[in-house]
Amino acid sequence: MLSTFHGLEVAKRGMFTQQAALYVTAHNIANANTPGYSRQRVNFVETEPFPPASMNRPQIPGQMGTGVEAGSIQRIRDSFLDYQYRNEASKLGYWSARSEAIAKMEDIMNEPSEFGLSKAMTQFWESLQDLSANPENEGARAVVRQRGVAVAESFNYLYTSLSQIRDDLGQEIKTGLLEVNSILKQISELNDQIKAVEPNGYLPNDLYDKRDALVDELSKYFQVKVETVPSGGNALDIAEGIYEISLVNQDGSTIKIVTKDGYSKLSVDPPVDPVNDPTNPDGYVSKIQIEDALGNITTIRDSEFGNLASGRIKSLIESYGYGSDPNNVKGYYPEMLADLDKMAYSFATMFNAQHREGYDLNNSNGVDFFEMNVSDNTTGKGAAASIKVSDVIMSDLGKIAASSNSGESGNGNNALYLSMIKDVQITNGSAALPSGSGTTVSVPITSGTVQTFYQGLVGKIGVDGQQAERMKTNAETLATSVDNKRQSVSSVSLDEEMTNMIKFQHAYNAAARIITAIDEMLDKIINNMGIAGR
Amino acid sequence: MRVTQFMLANNMLRNLSNSYERLGKYQEQLVTGKKISRPSDDPVVAMKGIAYREDLARVKQYQRNIGEVHNWIDSADDALDKAGLALQRVQELVVQASTDTATPEDRKKIADEIEQIQKHIVDVANTKVGGKYIFNGADTKNPLFIGYPGEMGFAVNGNQSDVEIEVFDGIKLDVNIDGKTLFTGIIGMLDNLKTVLNDPNSTGNTISSHLSQVEAQQDALLAARSELGAKQNRVEMMENRLSTQEVIATKLMSNNEDIEYEKTITDLITQESVHRVALSVGARIIQPTLVDFLR
Repeated sequence: MLSTFHGLEVAKRGMFTQQAALYVTAHNIANANTPGYSRQRVNFVETEPFPPASMNRPQIPGQMGTGVEAGSIQRIRDSFLDYQYRNEASKLGYWSARSEAIAKMEDIMNEPSEFGLSKAMTQFWESLQDLSANPENEGARAVVRQRGVAVAESFNYLYTSLSQIRDDLGQEIKTGLLEVNSILKQISELNDQIKAVEPNGYLPNDLYDKRDALVDELSKYFQVKVETVPSGGNALDIAEGIYEISLVNQDGSTIKIVTKDGYSKLSVDPPVDPVNDPTNPDGYVSKIQIEDALGNITTIRDSEFGNLASGRIKSLIESYGYGSDPNNVKGYYPEMLADLDKMAYSFATMFNAQHREGYDLNNSNGVDFFEMNVSDNTTGKGAAASIKVSDVIMSDLGKIAASSNSGESGNGNNALYLSMIKDVQITNGSAALPSGSGTTVSVPITSGTVQTFYQGLVGKIGVDGQQAERMKTNAETLATSVDNKRQSVSSVSLDEEMTNMIKFQHAYNAAARIITAIDEMLDKIINNMGIAGR
Repeated sequence: MRVTQFMLANNMLRNLSNSYERLGKYQEQLVTGKKISRPSDDPVVAMKGIAYREDLARVKQYQRNIGEVHNWIDSADDALDKAGLALQRVQELVVQASTDTATPEDRKKIADEIEQIQKHIVDVANTKVGGKYIFNGADTKNPLFIGYPGEMGFAVNGNQSDVEIEVFDGIKLDVNIDGKTLFTGIIGMLDNLKTVLNDPNSTGNTISSHLSQVEAQQDALLAARSELGAKQNRVEMMENRLSTQEVIATKLMSNNEDIEYEKTITDLITQESVHRVALSVGARIIQPTLVDFLR
């Protein structure tokens, strides 16, 4: 026999549950624009029917439904799309950092333009030609000296500006790792909170959202792999559990950075902080150290950086420079700086040698035209930063050796030879002077000419920049498309929420109406029954 | 596929920003007149651009050098013209002195005038243009003659090296003439004349026999001037070639990196209308939701 008030209870459950669903709808609408938010839904569950199958069940037709309850509140999300998105995000992080680094380099090199190094070289060449036509003219000499200064300063400017950008890249590695460490800490803290909530049979949807947003953020810096570990207790089957996060290498191996026990701290060695820490002035990264919660240190060595799958940090390190030896640093910026050194040193060495062959206005042999501070003659390290027109030339225009013969002030042949220096063919690292005197000079550039070497540099930047830009656009397109799919699943649709709102509102109203109906029924029983003949 | 307002708004923003990017690109191209502003826009164009600029700078420099060549040749020609006039006067004087009616005093006067002409020739030989002595070989800081003949300390410097100016890759012109041979010849001939004219025993015949020496020097002078003329021709030919080269280099550079205005402007206008459409469609799409229609 069913209780008199059975219907009231069923309708009340209906009202409560519809109300819960309305509140979740309100939560969805409120968070429609919250980044990382996934829409939530109430999983409606029928309550236990009556009577339950048991020995002393009442002999009534069964089973009779007893209404509804909110089984769980779940977020709508597709973890496979998250996986896809994060892969693309780390590629995007890699290529956008690279294309930014190259774009800055292009801005500094400023080619093709009327203000780049090639223009300075061309103007120097012009002034030498003018000098060869007017070798005794003080004016022509003064112009050669000034244009020589301009060439030297162009080298200095390029070198310092590129070094500065490189220092900025170093700072970016540092702040990037700080950011990564902070993300790892937050993920680990969220793990702890989730671990506390889930065993109670709840779903901490908003914590899940925060955690996924953090993993998205993390995946820009490194390519990561997420594995879940159940948190135990009475956790629901649909509970997501604890995230264990690892760095992914190209060969498939992984390094754990967040586990159920805690998180790791990442740092680079030597520390990259060229401004505050002068111990690493040349700037390079030899290893990434990963210290886990227990104090164990895993090291990614410079030879293994290339194996990192992708991500912004890898790209920054590749731009900034890495290696195990400060004298042999690989990387985009260090190689460009080394090339500038090579070019400056080759040019200045050949120029000086040719200049020494000539005769100045006082009929003595030429001195060195350019001076520089070089620590290594085979690479010319330090040349671009320190090259300048020598003090002797700066104090006396007559010292410019324009003549190829002593006592001939009108002879401009040596100036002409000097003007040919940038086009002297270099073979196997040695160049014969254009005067044809048979003197050869060994230079760091191995083949081609100084001019074509520079064109090669610019071409390389162009090609690499173009590739980085293209890859960035590709990764961006893919990431956007995956993100779109993800939004399609998870984002809040106001129309849908409105429809739901109507749906739940009507169901609520209808449940209330049932209570009214039962009320009338009971009124009949209580107030209008058994009063016959009154 | 389920599509939400959020996605529409995001897509619209992204499309608008892409559209702005393209507008910006066209604007930059139109303002600079160049297809590329950085090597990564088109590495090949950028590399070629450096080479073409270099070529053009070369051609322009060689044109400047040729200006200098003209300077040398024109100055030398002008100086030799003056020397020629002087020699003509000498010839007249020799003819005048060779008549037997001329007295030794007359001849003495003529010798004095020839002495003055000799000094004039020395001045011509020491012609200085733009701070350079143009007849003393490559030693242009010093004059060909120091002092005047017959005076104390008279000396000949006589550098005979060529002064060469590059007028094209590897092509050099020697712009000076051998001043030493020419002018010492003339000065020597005039010395002889003075000696003969100052000699009271000279007869008309002995003097007129010197006419052939004068003519020989005139010939030498003419030879030098025709050499200059030939050089002038060479320079003019080179000049023509260089101006053709300039046109070619400029054209190559322009073809390589300059935009076609009509094309870029058309692209810009097309992009402009696409942008307008994107804006108006976007404004329509993101507005209404079901909220607006529920009571």
